[in-house]
Amino acid sequence: MNQNSDLLTLRSVSKSYGTVPVLYGIDLAIRDGEFLTVLGPSGSGKTTVLRLIGGLEPLTSGEIRLDGQDISGMPINRRPFNTVFQDYALFPHLTVAGNVGYGLSVRHVPRKEISRRVAEALELVQLGRFADRFPAQLSGGQRQRVALARALICQPRLVLLDEPLAALDLELRRQMQEFLKSIQREVKTTFLFVTHDQEEAIGMADRICVMQAGHIRQLGTPHELYYKPNCEFVARFFGENNLVAGTLGEVRGEFRAIETALGRLVCSVNGQPHLKAAAAGASGFAAFRPEALHFAGDGDADNRLSGTIADLAFAGSSTVATITAGGDVAHRLRLRFPSRVDGSALRVGETVALSFAPHEGHLVLA
Amino acid sequence: MTVAPRLSTLLLAAITILVAALLYSPLFVPIVSSFFPVARGEVDWSSPTVSTYVALAANHEILLALRTTLVVGACTVVLSVAGGTLLALYYHGRRAGRSLLQFIIFLPFLMPPIISGLALLIFFREIGIERSLLTVVIGHTVFVLAIVYRTVLTRLQSMSRTLVEASYDLGATKWQTFWRVILPNLSSAMVGGAILAFALSFDETMITILVTGTQTTLPVRLWAMMRLGFSPDINALVALILMFTVLLCALAARFLVPRQIATQRS
Repeated sequence: MNQNSDLLTLRSVSKSYGTVPVLYGIDLAIRDGEFLTVLGPSGSGKTTVLRLIGGLEPLTSGEIRLDGQDISGMPINRRPFNTVFQDYALFPHLTVAGNVGYGLSVRHVPRKEISRRVAEALELVQLGRFADRFPAQLSGGQRQRVALARALICQPRLVLLDEPLAALDLELRRQMQEFLKSIQREVKTTFLFVTHDQEEAIGMADRICVMQAGHIRQLGTPHELYYKPNCEFVARFFGENNLVAGTLGEVRGEFRAIETALGRLVCSVNGQPHLKAAAAGASGFAAFRPEALHFAGDGDADNRLSGTIADLAFAGSSTVATITAGGDVAHRLRLRFPSRVDGSALRVGETVALSFAPHEGHLVLA
Repeated sequence: MTVAPRLSTLLLAAITILVAALLYSPLFVPIVSSFFPVARGEVDWSSPTVSTYVALAANHEILLALRTTLVVGACTVVLSVAGGTLLALYYHGRRAGRSLLQFIIFLPFLMPPIISGLALLIFFREIGIERSLLTVVIGHTVFVLAIVYRTVLTRLQSMSRTLVEASYDLGATKWQTFWRVILPNLSSAMVGGAILAFALSFDETMITILVTGTQTTLPVRLWAMMRLGFSPDINALVALILMFTVLLCALAARFLVPRQIATQRS
């Protein structure tokens, strides 16, 4: 399948419940064959996006196009999409086979073909032995897989998944993440996965669409979102980060300075013309990841900071130091360094010099 | 459990047993005495017999009344289940007008039967419908509609909304969704409601007396017989009606226990 062609496009799609707006004219293009995750805190409108695409709710304005054709008014049962619901929504009066075959049976597919395809679909989700069970007799993870098989059997153009892992415990959730990803690769169908869990998003998605308060904040690969967040919200929401407020200074090649309470910091603006073009004096943030921050040595000329260690937290493979820096307005910075078997010589209360390489720093506009 | 809640549970159980005993224990008198012959107004406790039941089976009038009761019950069940289910489906999820509708549906069930019966009687006379089995069936249906409506609505409300959405999502039409998803999930509530409706219709007396024509049902027949004093066949009839009604209610309870609880137990 062609990863570059757009399967589905949303154009200035808005949605209000009564007078309460939940989506403000969003634009989104879903590529054919990709695993796209819509990530956002609760109330961000992410589930509404999914329900609008699925046809479970009418649009307030805007349009949804499938292969270039407007499908905004198409009834839900004629859209070539299938949904895995958060509560799975398995029919309690039907067996696993009855549930999985439902989509074919309502389309009057011959009985022989239904039973063949149901067997295939159950094989795909490794539930072949459970065909005659009822949903009440299955575990959470098994129900989840039945719901997935039921959605896939109709060979939809797009599978919509509404926080399907939310009800599972951590271990099972990890397994299901891998499982979902491998299934998606196998069937080569486009998946639109909604979640509030950023770890889940990083682990599975080809691209992530971050939403907040009814707007799309950023759309990109997990790598782009992590290293080049385009706003304060994404920089804070997506992974752990250090943000220091300041005003933009001069541009020097692929770098730009920012004047902050902790002094002048230099960050990369490589490949981000809007950061180069922003007026000097504009307010923004220097953003650098805890693993980019390190204890300064003699070779570190730029971005030198100093502070006192407020806390040291051992986290297995790495240790996180919380450092208080700055004078009047204290900044709490986090520094992550690899743990060692003989422990570290650092002590809480110690004053330390810190630095990060300019190319590992990033700017976001306020 | 601490002492206080345990004490209150015991007290509650004691009161419940006492109330049940006071209310229902007199019923054992006709049941027990129905198995003994009566001579010159005295019960002869020395020789138990089922002769009254045998005599009852040969009583043509009683059998006729029984047949009428069963016909009325069956018609009432069909009408009330269809009507109650449709009303529940129609008003499920709707806000406006539902409380008024519920009030109207529940009115005949909550009012003293004599008021409902009189209202129906006056209504039938005013629009010129002759009193007959038809008027009895209408009376019973109006009376038991609330039970079916309530049981079906309760089940509908406990049904996850996403079941219907999932059905549409998988390509089903409105009708397919109704027949394949909604109705099967309501069926046990409908059966439970139907049994309760039948049980209520089976021993309904007051409304029946007021709106019936020449034919009488079993309870009305019983009522007429009791005016001449308690006889052995009355005792036997009471015993039979009682057993049948208890049986029906137990059966209804089986269907109305939610499926999830039933599967958890098994």
